[in-house]
Amino acid sequence: MRNLFTPKNLRNLILIVVIAGVLILAISGYLTPIFSVSVSPLISAQSWISGRYLAFRDFFGSPRDMATLREENITLRNEVAQLQSEIIALQENLAQADILYTLLDFARNNPDHEYEAATVIGREISPYLQYIIIDKGSNNGIRYGMPVVTQQGLVGRIDAVISDAARVQLITDAGSVVNVRLKTANVEGQVSGSITGEVSLDMVPVESQVDIGEVILTSGLGGTYPPNIFVGQVLSMQSRQNALFQTGSVQPIVDFSTLSAVLVITNFEAVDITPLVP
Amino acid sequence: MLIYLAYGMSFVLAMMLQYGVFSRWMILSGSPDLVLLLIIALCLHQKHRRFWILILIMGGVVGFVSALPFFIPMVVYMAVYLASFGLKQRVWQTPLLAMFLLTFGATILVNFLSIAVLFIQRIPFNFSIALVNVVLPSVFLNMFLAIPVHAIMRELSVWLYPQGAQI
Repeated sequence: MRNLFTPKNLRNLILIVVIAGVLILAISGYLTPIFSVSVSPLISAQSWISGRYLAFRDFFGSPRDMATLREENITLRNEVAQLQSEIIALQENLAQADILYTLLDFARNNPDHEYEAATVIGREISPYLQYIIIDKGSNNGIRYGMPVVTQQGLVGRIDAVISDAARVQLITDAGSVVNVRLKTANVEGQVSGSITGEVSLDMVPVESQVDIGEVILTSGLGGTYPPNIFVGQVLSMQSRQNALFQTGSVQPIVDFSTLSAVLVITNFEAVDITPLVP
Repeated sequence: MLIYLAYGMSFVLAMMLQYGVFSRWMILSGSPDLVLLLIIALCLHQKHRRFWILILIMGGVVGFVSALPFFIPMVVYMAVYLASFGLKQRVWQTPLLAMFLLTFGATILVNFLSIAVLFIQRIPFNFSIALVNVVLPSVFLNMFLAIPVHAIMRELSVWLYPQGAQI
């Protein structure tokens, strides 16, 4: 009879008993803390490796997707740019329409005059002269000397005309003189321009009381402009000793730097009094 | 013919830009004069014997459109044309310097002719205000714009006049 308890068999038997014991302990949950401590570093390492691998795979496996996304991005950017340019164009049209509606409203509120709306297309080349060019001329009934206004007030008068354009001398020009009256003080004077575009008030009698902010309207004297058109407001007044008249500075009601559309009063004919001037 | 057409087109373009854009570029009360700069650059780069006729026509057009007296642009442009001869012979190696010299001189000339006209027309003005608010800013703006205008017209002249061509 063979001896079953040889050293070799005994060693195998002990090994099987140990493994079976470990398995029973593991299944019964007694080894969980030990597993947790020993496995968690491995899981972390596995996670790191897996993450790096996925990143590596994405990096080399996704150029086609990136190119597609970039193309889509460029297409969308182009669409956004087109939409933005359309918005800008629509805003410009809206601003132009607002100006024209305001001018139309002004014309309705002042039915005594007939108006021709015109767009400002240029400014004078010489900085000493304050003139603008408008896009309406003799073909539209524009004639020399016609007053030019906006919904705010007086702009100037027609200085030269060709068939489809006209040149307007602004009231800020050094050669421009407008006869005016001060609304509250009820005195008359003259508003004249300068080479720098500033407007001054002259020929106001010394005894007159003129307040700051006084409204200045055209008087109609001289026949160059129709009466009662808003010109501006008095900014300051100075009176020199022994002077016959007061002088002052005027804030024009029209902003000449942003002038884009004007109205020409077409049914007013300026009176030429040049032969009567000595 | 191509030369006249190119110069005419550039003049018309400069007029449109001047009236539409550059007249609104202001420092104090001074503004640049693109047409004057174009005339100066043309005079420095032209190689045409009867170029003065074109200069007179351009002066006439500006005199017609502008509210300035008719003769001022013609006088200034012809003065620029004549001065460009001397400058081209003396400072021919530095055309940009000639451009600056002519720009400075022509701007001063056109400003003082304008002031003289105001004086003759008895329009009241203060000379020191005109000097500070109009003349000096205009000179500065013209000198500033002289560089790009000179560069553009040089390219145009290279295109119009192949090397060595003398008409």
